[in-house]
Amino acid sequence: MENRIVAQNLAELYREAANRYGSLPAFATRKKELEWEPVSFEELYNRGLNLATGLIEMGVEARDHVGLFGDNRFEWILADYGVQLCGAADVPRGRDITDAELVYIINHAEISIAFVETKVLLDRILELRSEFAGLKEIILMDPKADAPEGVHTLGNVVDHGEALRKYGNTRAEERIADIQSDDLFTLIYTSGTTGKPKGVMLTHSNMMSQVKGIPVDLNCTDRVLSILPVWHIFERVFEMFTITCGVCTYYSNIRHLADDLKNVEPTFMGSAPRLWESLYQKILKKVSDSHPMRQLLFHTAYFLSRQYKSSQFFLSGRDLKLEPFSKIKRALLAPFHAVRWLAVLPFYGFFNVAVLEPVRMSAGGSLKATVSGGGALPSEIDKFFNFIGIPVLEGYGMTETAPVIAVRREENLVIGTVGPPMEDTEVRIADMESGEVLYPNNKYPDEGRGLKGEILVKGPQVMKGYYRNPEQTIKTIQDGWLKTGDLGMITYNDCLKILGRSKATIVLTSGENLEPEPIEMRLTQSPYIEHCMVVGQDKKQIGALIVPDIEGFRKKGIDPDSMHDLAGDPEVRKIIQEEIKKMISVANGYKRFELIQDFRLLPQNFSTGEELTSLFKMKRHVIQDKYADLIEDIYNPEPAQVA
Amino acid sequence: MEFTTQLLYPLDQVLLAVMIFSIMFGMGASLTVDDFKTVLRYPRGILIGFLSQFGLMPFFAYLLAVYFNLPPAYAIALILIGCLPGGTTSNMFAYFARGSVALSIAMTTASTILALLMMPFLLEFYTAEFTREISAEMQAAGTGGEFVIPTSNIIGSLVLVLLPVLMGMFLRAKSRVWAKTAEDTAGFMGIIVILFLIVTAFVRHTGLLLQTPMEIYISALLVGLLGFLFGYWMSWAFGLSPIFQRAISLETGIQNGPIAFAIILLSFVDPVESQMLWLAILYSTFIVITSSFITLYYRRVGKFDHEVYKNTSIHNRLFGEEYVTGYPDGFLPARISNDPSQGSTPAQKRG
Repeated sequence: MENRIVAQNLAELYREAANRYGSLPAFATRKKELEWEPVSFEELYNRGLNLATGLIEMGVEARDHVGLFGDNRFEWILADYGVQLCGAADVPRGRDITDAELVYIINHAEISIAFVETKVLLDRILELRSEFAGLKEIILMDPKADAPEGVHTLGNVVDHGEALRKYGNTRAEERIADIQSDDLFTLIYTSGTTGKPKGVMLTHSNMMSQVKGIPVDLNCTDRVLSILPVWHIFERVFEMFTITCGVCTYYSNIRHLADDLKNVEPTFMGSAPRLWESLYQKILKKVSDSHPMRQLLFHTAYFLSRQYKSSQFFLSGRDLKLEPFSKIKRALLAPFHAVRWLAVLPFYGFFNVAVLEPVRMSAGGSLKATVSGGGALPSEIDKFFNFIGIPVLEGYGMTETAPVIAVRREENLVIGTVGPPMEDTEVRIADMESGEVLYPNNKYPDEGRGLKGEILVKGPQVMKGYYRNPEQTIKTIQDGWLKTGDLGMITYNDCLKILGRSKATIVLTSGENLEPEPIEMRLTQSPYIEHCMVVGQDKKQIGALIVPDIEGFRKKGIDPDSMHDLAGDPEVRKIIQEEIKKMISVANGYKRFELIQDFRLLPQNFSTGEELTSLFKMKRHVIQDKYADLIEDIYNPEPAQVA
Repeated sequence: MEFTTQLLYPLDQVLLAVMIFSIMFGMGASLTVDDFKTVLRYPRGILIGFLSQFGLMPFFAYLLAVYFNLPPAYAIALILIGCLPGGTTSNMFAYFARGSVALSIAMTTASTILALLMMPFLLEFYTAEFTREISAEMQAAGTGGEFVIPTSNIIGSLVLVLLPVLMGMFLRAKSRVWAKTAEDTAGFMGIIVILFLIVTAFVRHTGLLLQTPMEIYISALLVGLLGFLFGYWMSWAFGLSPIFQRAISLETGIQNGPIAFAIILLSFVDPVESQMLWLAILYSTFIVITSSFITLYYRRVGKFDHEVYKNTSIHNRLFGEEYVTGYPDGFLPARISNDPSQGSTPAQKRG
């Protein structure tokens, strides 16, 4: 950690990085496969100062909110430098923002100046212009696009600022000196349950605590490959982290990822579970396509590695401990693991060198560690990468906590958990209904380890609140404790394990968030559907559990004896399938990932007190547990079900 | 110590021949014409490597033979091992020791070709007194005749083992995928056969293990270790950067064992043949163990400078050959920062 720059705010960090790392590359942009364009820390800082000066000249005040609409590219980070160096905060969002969101965010955040990445997005904004009275100036980021009249180009603003600085304008420096640690550096809008996005206020000290606490050691010889959207706080924290360490970030994308992994040979990267899933499938496919000899070698190597690592994890206390463990049992098992570890060691050594190393090459071969976040990593994939020797550090967090709450350490890597909380961060587990603190609580054995409940967090990363939304802020943060809405428990080796979400939001493996309730509400409007629960947390796509409406079908002339018969009727299934197709479609305004791919009919109705609360709200975790096998069946269907 | 039975049965000899063939074929399958060009890109490294491979190693082998007063057949085998070119195993070890793989491959390529010239000359030069000893023994035993190093046979066997290398290279030029499969299969087969031979030799001749004098073990062990040590020191003395030092060190110590077996089988007869084979087996066994440990050690100490080298060369790969990576003052230790290329090639121009 001694490599890191310690700063009070982002502007100071940018300045110190320029002083310390000078001509080292800070960011690199892909032109062609083997042609990348670097920009140094020094150059970036100087251009950032010029831009800041230009922005101040345009009227940006300290603590203003500046819109930043675009995806990963060098100009994005330059715009961020400009905004931070003039003491303002940015309001970032990607190109996939909808018109409604644009209108809401620009008005709600009181944005008067905005960066816009591409001509296409610019045209959309210009068309909507009458709807945001406050938006005065627009700066076009894409250097290749032509700006229409009344729109600035990024280059012009930088040049203007440069000219001003030549004549001794130091207003940017004055702004930097004036930044307070609890000033916002960004205001990120997340989509909320009610459809109205919420503006998460993150401060400089939120970000600085994250950058200081990330338990990975990097220095100027490292390389980070970036593929997640930079306006997402998870990716952003890594880019800020790389700046503190003097590491160059290489902007890649999904399409070129395989090549870029090979050419950049990243030593570190952050990514969503989907990437690991696709890399996992690619590796397995490559193995199964190869010479039978090499397949045999790979499976032998994987087997040996699993034996070796399992014993190693056990001996170093890094196995998943969900239940209290008896010391005697462990003491008895220890010699077995020690013998297995020793016996496998030489063979593991050989196969690790000869077989697993080439496999690791498909991820560039130099990865020291990777952080997976933004959704749960399926455990088989998690194990696979750890066994073939790419340590995956799974983390847990949310935009409201800037984002990391807990992350696995390399030296304390417990597969199946998200590791211990970040430094200076306290985690509580509270009962869902009563709100009683279950952990840490002396009343319970082991202070409440192993008990399930909602995760509460207190620490330097917790947001300042939701912008202009005190109601939600008070609901979410109480006495400094932020309610995450997620279910979890503390394992017996003090790691956090995530068990699900108490809030209904579904996060797909692609990282997309969706609210099931609007979809469910729409579907229950059908005369044939009584209840419906959308599932798909940590899956690729969503599915649904449906209770058919027996009355509705009776009216149609289908008169079954029982709910059970109704659910088994192929005619019923067909009707419901058509209903879903008709109601939840792209034409009706649903996004592609919100389309229901498959569903199961439930053989009995929900009852109050069991599946439903007294207010007829579904108890999602109860239904999930009860019909776990049906949900599993949606994603891994049993072959050939005879109806 | 005399061999009462043959060390290798006919079946073993066939297996050995198959192993030599497949290993050398695999070696060829891993080589490209570009590797020969690389030789020209590292003239300094190659020259220093040449000095340590054909200068130091045979000399140490000779010193050990004299110092331990080895029986003449063992002495000749030891010197023969000292004169061998490098093998492909050293490239793999160089990779894991965070050494320069390019230099290792270039040295293997160069030394294999140069061996045609150097080996007969060096053998002639260092083994003269030992061949005289054998001749004298033969005279005394009344078997008559005079023992000479069969130079033309040695050149002949060298050419013979280079044939599969050429065939492998031809395959590589025709099909990359097939060459890769051939390389892996050959490597795997090589390991299986050599394990089989070592295990059967040890099982059949357990008595031999006890009879073999300690000096022979020690010299078989030391010849490789001295190669590692002096290869490292010599390249250090010439001011090479650490990644080259590690490559040269491993390349010097790890010799191409299969060539030794081929030469012994094709050019010598019993009882000398069995004694020489025994030493070659001992050397091959020890070198795998010692180089594993050395590699683990190099891997640890070389972590930082290898990362600098890697990062610098990736910058050159992506940002252009002219790009100069300017690390902050005091970040690099003197040895690396004084090397203008920071270990990468082609050398960087400093601003």
